[in-house]
Amino acid sequence: MVDLLFYVAALLSVLCALGVVISENPVQSVLMLLGSFLGIAVIYLLAGFQFLAAIQVLVYGGAIMVLFLFVVMLLNLGDPEVQADEPLFHGRGRVTGGLGVALAALAVLLTASRGTALAPVETYLWPEGGLDPLLGMAEAMFGRYVLPFEAASVLLLATAVGVMALAKRQRTKRAIAPAPLESKEAAA
Amino acid sequence: MSVPTEQLLVLSALLFSIGVAGFFVRRNVIVVLMSIELMLNAANLAFLAGARHHASLAGEWQAEGPVMVTFVIAVAAVEAAVGLALVIAYYRRKRTVSLDQLTPTLD
Repeated sequence: MVDLLFYVAALLSVLCALGVVISENPVQSVLMLLGSFLGIAVIYLLAGFQFLAAIQVLVYGGAIMVLFLFVVMLLNLGDPEVQADEPLFHGRGRVTGGLGVALAALAVLLTASRGTALAPVETYLWPEGGLDPLLGMAEAMFGRYVLPFEAASVLLLATAVGVMALAKRQRTKRAIAPAPLESKEAAA
Repeated sequence: MSVPTEQLLVLSALLFSIGVAGFFVRRNVIVVLMSIELMLNAANLAFLAGARHHASLAGEWQAEGPVMVTFVIAVAAVEAAVGLALVIAYYRRKRTVSLDQLTPTLD
């Protein structure tokens, strides 16, 4: 029963991932990506990683998805008229090249996962509280991995500052540029 | 769940190659960023498959895999924020999100 649920979630995430790449409308792509993330969250839950499943839903399904959806809506990319001049798979060379690289990556990864010769496991560990008790994770994160943790916090701060600098409008240039346009309109 | 680790790795490989295909085939910058997110998710899945396999073999749990996954999620959020800010700045200049128009702006 649980295994069947895994295969359903895996099928959902793969089909939604295909939908992200195939669908012409960016809004549809974003919603397909959400479906893929939720399928992966279900797999985390089934594999015993409850906390990471929650994080997956909150951060990916919540924050990142809202960010993507916000930008798509802000730029009005869901509008069919805006999309009309953007053929989906433009250029035969690009499509064949991209699919070739993707198939090569798939072949390499599959060969690698076969070639690792994983030791056989009779029963997979699935303790009562799941595989990721928060205490163990917290001890590792604030003990052995405290330096990467601090680096991640610095990275987040730098991102907040950098994104604000990027997204800020240059008002000085803008203030000069529209003035002649307005005078032309007034003259017309 | 008694699904073997190999099948989790196969699923991870499938998701990763779909992300690679989207990265190379699509021209919309936002869809390219989404493909990168797909690839990061595939890597997370592989990390957790390894963590579960190791835990089942050793009989006890190790924090390395899940900790790495949380770092990857943090970096993915950062990457999405910076990438989308760049997309907005680019759209403001060129009125498009197509990657084909990107090269002439670099001069």
